[in-house]
Amino acid sequence: MPDSGSTSGLSDAIAGTSSRRGFLARAGRLLIAVAGGGALAGALRVQDAEGFHFCGHIYTPGSCPHPTGLPRIDAQGFPLRARDGKPVDDLGRVVDAAGRPVDDQGHILLDPDGQPLPPAPRTKVCVAAAREYGFRAHTDGAWYRCCGGHVRKLVDCCGYVRRRINGDAALTGYCYAGRKVFCVQYYDTKVPC
Amino acid sequence: MVCTVGAARGLDGRGGAARAGVAYAVGSLLGGVLVFGGLGLLASRLHPGRFWLEAAVALAAVAAVSDLAGLRVRPQLPFQVPERWRQTLPLPLATLLYGLLIGTGLTTYVPAAAAWALLALTLALGKLAPALVIGVCIGAGRALPVVGLAPLRENAAARRAFDRTAQRRWPLRSVRALAAVALAAGGAAALAGPGRAAVVATGAEDPSVAGADLAWQAPGTGGFLLHAGGAAAQLPGSDPAIGGALIAWHVGAQVTVASRQTLAPVAQENVPGVQKLAVSDRWLAYRAGTATGGARIVVQQLTDLANARTVASVSWPAQLGRPALSGNRVVFHTATQTGSSIAVVDLSTGKRRLLRRSRSVQVLEPALLGSDLLYVRVARCSQQLRLGGLAGGRDRVLLTLPPLAGQDLGRERGHTDQGSRVPCPGRPRPTTTMLWTTALTTRFAYVTTLHRTAGGSGAPTLLRITR
Repeated sequence: MPDSGSTSGLSDAIAGTSSRRGFLARAGRLLIAVAGGGALAGALRVQDAEGFHFCGHIYTPGSCPHPTGLPRIDAQGFPLRARDGKPVDDLGRVVDAAGRPVDDQGHILLDPDGQPLPPAPRTKVCVAAAREYGFRAHTDGAWYRCCGGHVRKLVDCCGYVRRRINGDAALTGYCYAGRKVFCVQYYDTKVPC
Repeated sequence: MVCTVGAARGLDGRGGAARAGVAYAVGSLLGGVLVFGGLGLLASRLHPGRFWLEAAVALAAVAAVSDLAGLRVRPQLPFQVPERWRQTLPLPLATLLYGLLIGTGLTTYVPAAAAWALLALTLALGKLAPALVIGVCIGAGRALPVVGLAPLRENAAARRAFDRTAQRRWPLRSVRALAAVALAAGGAAALAGPGRAAVVATGAEDPSVAGADLAWQAPGTGGFLLHAGGAAAQLPGSDPAIGGALIAWHVGAQVTVASRQTLAPVAQENVPGVQKLAVSDRWLAYRAGTATGGARIVVQQLTDLANARTVASVSWPAQLGRPALSGNRVVFHTATQTGSSIAVVDLSTGKRRLLRRSRSVQVLEPALLGSDLLYVRVARCSQQLRLGGLAGGRDRVLLTLPPLAGQDLGRERGHTDQGSRVPCPGRPRPTTTMLWTTALTTRFAYVTTLHRTAGGSGAPTLLRITR
């Protein structure tokens, strides 16, 4: 995790420039320890940690556009509200399994005639990003971190892109076949850690 | 300031004078845009209501009267621009900075009370675009006299003529009178302008219009008809629709089409599952629910009720909207989990055409009048009542409400915001009021708003907006 350990942030960042595999992260940590650059590493760690806007995110691509902000998704890639994991539609409204808007207690919202309010589109977060920015969405690999006591799966939204959502050069990350990371999203599993 | 800008000619020739003048004009425009644009941006986040607009227009009326009467302008800010700048800075830079200060319209001596009224109007309008226009006008008004008069400084006769004129009362009185007239016109336009909604009825939904008559549904009570100049009368049925010389309602599955003037029935039929109606002199259209939770839109000729033509149908959980008729065309929306669309069907040819569609926002509740289409667009960051053409093109926004859902910070607590992202910049506060069914006349747009109450269905209010 980027915010644990004095050297892990920098080493993860170094590893992240290539493939972000775990052994490279460990190699980076060892390199810095051997160089005796503890103080430097500590200073740099603070700077690098500044680049991560949610737990488990170990490099700098920005969040995918999400109806409620933090790019939390379900196992299929559809948007969930980050604070409670409830499914939301593209308008940010909490919805039931059929896509009908519901209140926080799960009651279906009705019009004055007692009919459910019309459903809105609910689009996979990576697909919505691809539509907005004009590329074809691919969900390739993922990496895992322990966040809030549960395993978090961090998922790259990949495409044949040169620039990532931040506006600068896109990186390979966990994307395959020449694709690069456009933005990131995450899925909180129920697996304790 | 005329002397300062004009002095550049003596120092740097014509080029220097032009640079100083342009710099002053740019600064002045920038000053106006920054101050009034900033206020407009702030006001657009605050969403001031009708009360504040009326208060600002009242203030504008007082200011206009004051300017017309030539009363002393109060308050005044006795702030003078720093004279040191013109001695220590390059002249174009100094005049740019002077323009920035003076272009705000509020520093130094304010020659007309209209300036203060414009400040209040900018805040009360609650929109960025008119605020920017006001800022540009203020900046230009401050720049033009200086830029225009500076070249005359070199001409002794012109300078004497200007001095003589400037020392009389009528030039300033004329400018103030012009400002007063413009301010009064602007205030009236703001009150009557589009986007200002008036409540027609509370507890009312599903407007339907024909000529100057208006019908609506009061949930749990029944339908109402309001003739022009009369009082609203309750109808013997629900979900009324009017069109041509007719009116339609239903009691359970029994649909009645009647004369709008006398309410004498002209046709009746039994339609199981009927929910919403539309009628014209030639056609009856209705939405009916199916046993499996789906819905269909059916159209019949009033002269041949035995023939029912289904023009659209959906399965649960997709939904069809209320149909609306205009001439030989019926228009309605379809909403699904993958997108929404507004379609029109030409009943004389059977040809169907998509008028609006989206995979990311909702386009709902259309009303048609000739080639004008009124509909509701619910997007992630706002809800809009839009008026556009059948052929597409640019829509005009008649009414805007905040979004239906909130958002988080885009980052987890304790983490940086670098790389974070929120759907709506400025974090607009979500509303529990949503735009709903519509109707359209040549003068007005009608829309139902649903105010969601805890644990209940939406409480409707019927609004009228000048087109």
